[in-house]
Amino acid sequence: MSDIPAIEVRGLRRVFDVRQGLFAKPRQVVAVDDVSFSVPAGSVLGIVGESGCGKTTLARMILGLLPPSSGDVLIDGQRLGDLDRRARARLIQPVFQDPFSSLNPRRRVRDIVAMPLVAQGNIAGDEVKRRVGEALERVGLSAEQGSRYPSQLSGGQRQRVAIARALVLRPRIVVCDEPTSALDVSVQAQILNLLAELRKDLGLTYLFISHNLAVVEHVASEVAVMYLGRIVERNESEALFAHPQHPYTRALLDSVLTPEPGLGVPDVGLGDTMPDPANIPPGCRFHPRCPLAFERCSHETPKLTPNEAGFVECLLAEE
Amino acid sequence: MSALLDVRNLRVTFGGTAAVRGASLTVEKGETHCLVGESGCGKSVTALALMGLLARGGKREADALSFAGQDIRNLGERDMSRLRGDRMAMIVQEPMTSLNPADTVGSQLTEVLRRHRGASRAQAVDRAAELLGRVGITAPGLRLGQYPHQLSGGLRQRVMIAMALMCDPELLIADEPTTALDVTVQAQILRLLAELQAEFGLGILLITHDLGVVARIADRVSVMYAGEVVESAPTAELFAAPQHPYTRGLLTCVPVPGKVKRGEPLGSIPGVVPRIPPGFVGCSFRDRCAYAHAACKHDIPRQHAGPDHEALCTLPPGWTDRAAA
Repeated sequence: MSDIPAIEVRGLRRVFDVRQGLFAKPRQVVAVDDVSFSVPAGSVLGIVGESGCGKTTLARMILGLLPPSSGDVLIDGQRLGDLDRRARARLIQPVFQDPFSSLNPRRRVRDIVAMPLVAQGNIAGDEVKRRVGEALERVGLSAEQGSRYPSQLSGGQRQRVAIARALVLRPRIVVCDEPTSALDVSVQAQILNLLAELRKDLGLTYLFISHNLAVVEHVASEVAVMYLGRIVERNESEALFAHPQHPYTRALLDSVLTPEPGLGVPDVGLGDTMPDPANIPPGCRFHPRCPLAFERCSHETPKLTPNEAGFVECLLAEE
Repeated sequence: MSALLDVRNLRVTFGGTAAVRGASLTVEKGETHCLVGESGCGKSVTALALMGLLARGGKREADALSFAGQDIRNLGERDMSRLRGDRMAMIVQEPMTSLNPADTVGSQLTEVLRRHRGASRAQAVDRAAELLGRVGITAPGLRLGQYPHQLSGGLRQRVMIAMALMCDPELLIADEPTTALDVTVQAQILRLLAELQAEFGLGILLITHDLGVVARIADRVSVMYAGEVVESAPTAELFAAPQHPYTRGLLTCVPVPGKVKRGEPLGSIPGVVPRIPPGFVGCSFRDRCAYAHAACKHDIPRQHAGPDHEALCTLPPGWTDRAAA
């Protein structure tokens, strides 16, 4: 495998102007704030964080669906902005959360899966047909299911269609944004197993976004924890789950309710202050909720401190 | 003494379609009973049927359905609406859509008490402010004057809980109360429910698909599949020695940090939930079950695997021990 990272993100930032009322002055919401990382080819980077932390905005910028306010995205060593849509589609493809709204209800499954091929504009009809058949088979759908409409399929089958559509151009990278959140646990397991198998067989790289930490631990080789637009900790999956360094990572891990009776519901000590991306606190952005915050946290911005395979952004780790 | 809520063989049909085909469960005072199952298994319809809130066309039948010793099967709408929101309350899944967007939090909260208890406006406002504080909302006075869209998801769900508690209910039916929330907020809300239960001796029927939630807060669990309760047991027993193959399958589907190795496939249940035709006999799980045999096409016995542990399955109780051995 080459040394060029599959995804590289440099100083990525995205600001939204939000108008609160008809005559109110627009406020700036910094959804993603100076994020840099790289994902080696063939690995899985999991991104976790609460709703509103900017993980979906980040994914959309990496997919080229949303222009960054500043910073660069490099896919396979090429600047995303230099690639045209067709070239981009051959490199990176998405699988979204909701298989009920991400598939066109008026088209048959095989036409949905064929769309990326047809959009390339230079692939012959029988080649399209052959590759659609291949992709459907790959994700465990029959040719008969290919002629159905999405409404005739279950949630799990629809997510298989979305995966087939993502794979039909044989991309190197797949961005999965909460791919199993809308599914039942038994179906979630089927889809996670399928994604793992596909990665192994096709040598794919995944950017895997989820709020479910147990799922991320299961699939990701490395994990980045986002809080209010920044990655506050990044590490190898095993190290991050075994000894989380950032207090926010610790709180997130403590909140996971594993199916182990008798342990009760943990007190994660985050208090009642909710993070507001339109109003990012000075100093460490996590300090109002942090159970370990001390005086310096409210005015001093923590620097990145390296760990095994990544970094942590916390004053406690600097010491 | 009889249970706070006693449901025996509840059936719900919509036209020719059976949504619930046999649900029996009890909730004692101060107990949390979790009803767990996947989408479409009939758990939410069960909750609505218990509250007498089935959509038009829904038909409810049961061998017994009593609340605090009173048979509520034949209560008229007037009597039922007197109970609802007063002695039995409900929280639903979406805090986003279940509050009236055109009305302040305060007026929605006070309405409950004024309607059921004839409280004065001032009394109701006091009670609402007190409860908002109780559910962990800071500055209750300010929140009372706000509209739902001004609150975050976690706050809205707290408002829903406060609303359910306005009249000191004896029974709280909570349908996926934390599914739409972040894990951090979920932990806070569940702790809150447990605290309130200890304080007020509430009986809680909690409906969820999340086995993690079940494990951490339930005293007792009933597993629903295709409209039937297929297994029911005290929580520790259900997780330690599940009897029904469906329960066992569900438990292997969940990635448990530290138990399932990364990269190894998760357990999964092949196939999908079947559509149950009218007049269906036998086990509804048999087409997906690795242990299915001829007897599964006939009436299924309700077997005891322990004094308080029932499973709707033809396999002999304790078969799992032998399978493991």
